Amino acid sequence: MSVRQKLLLLFSLTVAGAVAAVAWTVLVRVRQIFDQRDQRETALFVSQFQREFQHRSAEVAAAVDRLSAQERVRSMAFELVQSGDPAPYLTEAQTLATDAQLDFLEIVGPDGNVVSSAQWPARFAYPEPAAAAAATQTPFLKREELPDGSDALGLFAVRAVGGAEPAVHLIGGKRLDESFLADLPVAPGMQVYLYGEAGAPASASPAPPASVAMREFDARRLFGANGAVADAARYQPLIDAARKTGKDANAIVYLTRRREDSVNATAIPLKDQAGGVLAVLAVALARAEMVEAQQRIRAIAYGVAAAGILLAIAFSLWTAARVSRPIEQLARAAEEVAAGNWETRVPERGRDEVSVLARSFNRMVAELAGQRERLMQSERVAAWRELARRLAHELKNPLFPLQLTVENLTRARALPANEFDEVFRESTQTLAMEIANLKTIIGRFSDFSKMPKPQLERIDAKDTLARVRALYEVAGAASPGAAKITFGSEIADEPMPMDADPELLHRALSNLVLNAMDAMPEGGTVTLAARAIDGKIEMRVADTGTGLTPEECERLFTPYYTTRQHGTGLGLAIVQSVVADHAGTIAVESRPGGGTVFVIRLPGAG
Amino acid sequence: MLWRCATSFLLVSAALLAWGRTRPHYGGTLRVEIAEDPWQRPGGIARRLVLDGLTRADASGATQPALAVDWNSENQNHRWQFKLRPGVHFQDGSPLTPIAVVASLNTACPSNCPWSAIHAVGGSVIFTGDEPMPNLPGLLAGDEYLIALTITSEGKPPEGVIGTGPFQVSGFLNGVLTLAANENCWAGRPFAGTIEIRAHRAVRDQWLDWSVGRTDIVEVPPEQMRQAQQQRLNIVSSPPVTLLAVQIAESGSLESPLLRQSMALGIDRSALSNVIFQKQGEVTASLLPANLTGYSFLFPVERDLAKAQQLRGGITPPLLTLAAPGDATMQLAAQRIALNLREGGFNVQVTGDATQHVDLTLREFRLEGNQPQAALESIAGDAGLNPPPPGQGDMALFQSESEILGRYTLIPLLYLPRAFAVSGRVRDLRLNPDGSPDLADASLLDTARGDSSRGDAP
Repeated sequence: MSVRQKLLLLFSLTVAGAVAAVAWTVLVRVRQIFDQRDQRETALFVSQFQREFQHRSAEVAAAVDRLSAQERVRSMAFELVQSGDPAPYLTEAQTLATDAQLDFLEIVGPDGNVVSSAQWPARFAYPEPAAAAAATQTPFLKREELPDGSDALGLFAVRAVGGAEPAVHLIGGKRLDESFLADLPVAPGMQVYLYGEAGAPASASPAPPASVAMREFDARRLFGANGAVADAARYQPLIDAARKTGKDANAIVYLTRRREDSVNATAIPLKDQAGGVLAVLAVALARAEMVEAQQRIRAIAYGVAAAGILLAIAFSLWTAARVSRPIEQLARAAEEVAAGNWETRVPERGRDEVSVLARSFNRMVAELAGQRERLMQSERVAAWRELARRLAHELKNPLFPLQLTVENLTRARALPANEFDEVFRESTQTLAMEIANLKTIIGRFSDFSKMPKPQLERIDAKDTLARVRALYEVAGAASPGAAKITFGSEIADEPMPMDADPELLHRALSNLVLNAMDAMPEGGTVTLAARAIDGKIEMRVADTGTGLTPEECERLFTPYYTTRQHGTGLGLAIVQSVVADHAGTIAVESRPGGGTVFVIRLPGAG
Repeated sequence: MLWRCATSFLLVSAALLAWGRTRPHYGGTLRVEIAEDPWQRPGGIARRLVLDGLTRADASGATQPALAVDWNSENQNHRWQFKLRPGVHFQDGSPLTPIAVVASLNTACPSNCPWSAIHAVGGSVIFTGDEPMPNLPGLLAGDEYLIALTITSEGKPPEGVIGTGPFQVSGFLNGVLTLAANENCWAGRPFAGTIEIRAHRAVRDQWLDWSVGRTDIVEVPPEQMRQAQQQRLNIVSSPPVTLLAVQIAESGSLESPLLRQSMALGIDRSALSNVIFQKQGEVTASLLPANLTGYSFLFPVERDLAKAQQLRGGITPPLLTLAAPGDATMQLAAQRIALNLREGGFNVQVTGDATQHVDLTLREFRLEGNQPQAALESIAGDAGLNPPPPGQGDMALFQSESEILGRYTLIPLLYLPRAFAVSGRVRDLRLNPDGSPDLADASLLDTARGDSSRGDAP
């Protein structure tokens, strides 16, 4: 990853992270604000409900008070106390309840038994414990069983009639039902539900025991102002929490998978006189508005973030370009220099660290170029000197016999003719041989200077190595008196195709084999090996000779360097030249007394 | 002398005037309002006005001749011969013949009759039965065996109900059935010239009409008799003639007799009688009232909730339904019974729809006469129970009733009277043994009011 990309990524992440942090902060704050608003509205509604509840309680109490003050009722109470006969008043409660617009009304006699019941006329003569609540004068909640087996929740008040003891009591009440919920003041988006606790199983006992274990949630018992609640089961955990603890419970209720269809619900337990939970009032405030606002804010945040990121990218591009361009120029210049373009320079702008670096780079390149020029000149002089030394050495050997032969001929002119002829013949032979030797030396230099360009063709390394082995194995065997040299082979079986000039490669390998044979004057083993490795063809020529010192290894491929008495020093230079022309490498592995191995790696054709 | 003559004249005149004021007057329109259908069986108020039976029950319940003047049995009550009253004509003028009687009885009782065959022989009608029929004369006095014309002299079915009774149907308009006096009635012309019966009238509306003088006779339910008496209304009431009982289905979840017995013991009869029926009922655990048998006290009426729960043995049947056809009082009584049964461990739901399958039914049974055996057979027949073979004597009757009650499919609760409020212009209104008003013997003081046949008065 380039410096520019790194800078770009760094800047983008920084800006995006900053924008995301801001958006998250805004969203959290918005949620807190809406939650606080919900809580305020819910608290407001709860207080309104409590006022409405008190108002209804007062209405019920007033209605029962008015009834108890009626002369007709007082007369009835007197008669009941005097005669103890409840029969004439069997339907009295229904009439009174209709007059007082009460949903429930029971007349309880001095003995505590029901004399007349508007809601359940057949329940006369059964005890009604609620009459004991007359002393409190406070309206209360009560669950009232009905003849059809169902029950209803009501707000009740009890009053004694006449004041004499034992007294007749009126227990009047109004039903907490759909109409009650419909009359409650609700804010837009708010729903109010009532969960009526189930009563005891059908029994004649009018008051269920307070210690009844909490019944399982029954979705059918949850109703709103419009009747049954479709998503009643969703409210179960909330309502159960209120039923179980007897305290207000609050939770977010998801009506569907969509967040918009969720409500912030509060469950308020409604209790009887004994503190048992008779019903649960659920106030549900729709969160659609808040969720939509959150979604709008989130969309805006995403838009701002996207724009910020785009701006960050643009800014990063500009900044990164501004910061990284001198570095990139330096990198490119370094590569140019590495490639040999010593004239490369980078512009020097400004006074910052990068411009200092550019100036240092330019100065360094200039110095390196000067040093290189001087080194090349030194090397060139050294090479010429070496060439001259080698030429002098090579030419000096034949010249000395030529000089002796010419001097001998000169001296031989004083000899008799027949002796002179003898000397002349021998001298001319020697001259001819040394001149041929000179030609050979000159030819070798000429050949090295005229190395042909490789003519590539698809060959198999195995075949080339086989040809070389066959040639020199036969030659070694045909040289009588020569040291015994054996040939070994470690050539892999698989094909090892490569694109190479077979003649040049054969020549290079031949040079290596000849070197190996020369390195073993006392005899030994030349091993030829080849294998394919990592897409390259590796060929090895190993001998069991005396080996080379590390210094010899370093100079081995230098032209005209030889460790032999009569070598030109061009053999390995030619090998290196051929290998280089085939885009390959050559290396030597050797140690004194341990033999020498030449390793050639050439590109494979596979 | 003159003074004596004058005094004597004045005394005779006063006596004549007094006699003239007290003797029944002919003519006038008697207006009656009822809640039921006037033609319903049994107890339809118009049936006994238009139709007669071969026999009738008098005020004491004894069987008296009606269209049959004499009867006798043979072959140990397997064969009965009823000799028809001669000279009796139907209201369309056709004579009452044994063939017409046989046709009428066959129409009234196409199957499951007390007799197995009926024949017209001469001036008599012969009943034969596979079983002895000791109570056949009493049964024939019942409401369902009244004789009606089935085929006219032209061989066609009659267009209305035609009988031999003191009144004949003269019209039906706007829910008011009008009956006109049958001048040629074999029992003599009735006093009232016309009777207007407004049927299917709620009791509350009847009382409203009665209070404004739009009717002469209205029904007074037992639970309102006390109130009516407090209002000093002229009330005519009968002895207990209506049996209120719970009939329990013998199948389903109440197949066990112990469960049914448990239910019988769980019902508080006294609360029904004292409160709902305002002490006008007579609690009973027997099918026949005490005034007919005298042994009714042998069947305990007290509620025994502990024993009821013991008999239930911890078994709680599924939700049971109690049907209570009838008015609000019947519904209330049913609610009370359901409440009692809940205490006994039965979950009972009251329904007003008796057409569907129900487990319990609150029913009313009407006594049509004072013959205990006939009444028992009638109740058993109405309840769909097979009555035990009739026997002779009170012991046999007691055993028969005990056998029926021992099944615990019919639980007697109360015997209730029937009562009517009568306006001051109605005289001599008595009630039949079945509690229905005997309008044929009633007369009107003010025959001019609402009289459409004023000229008929003698």
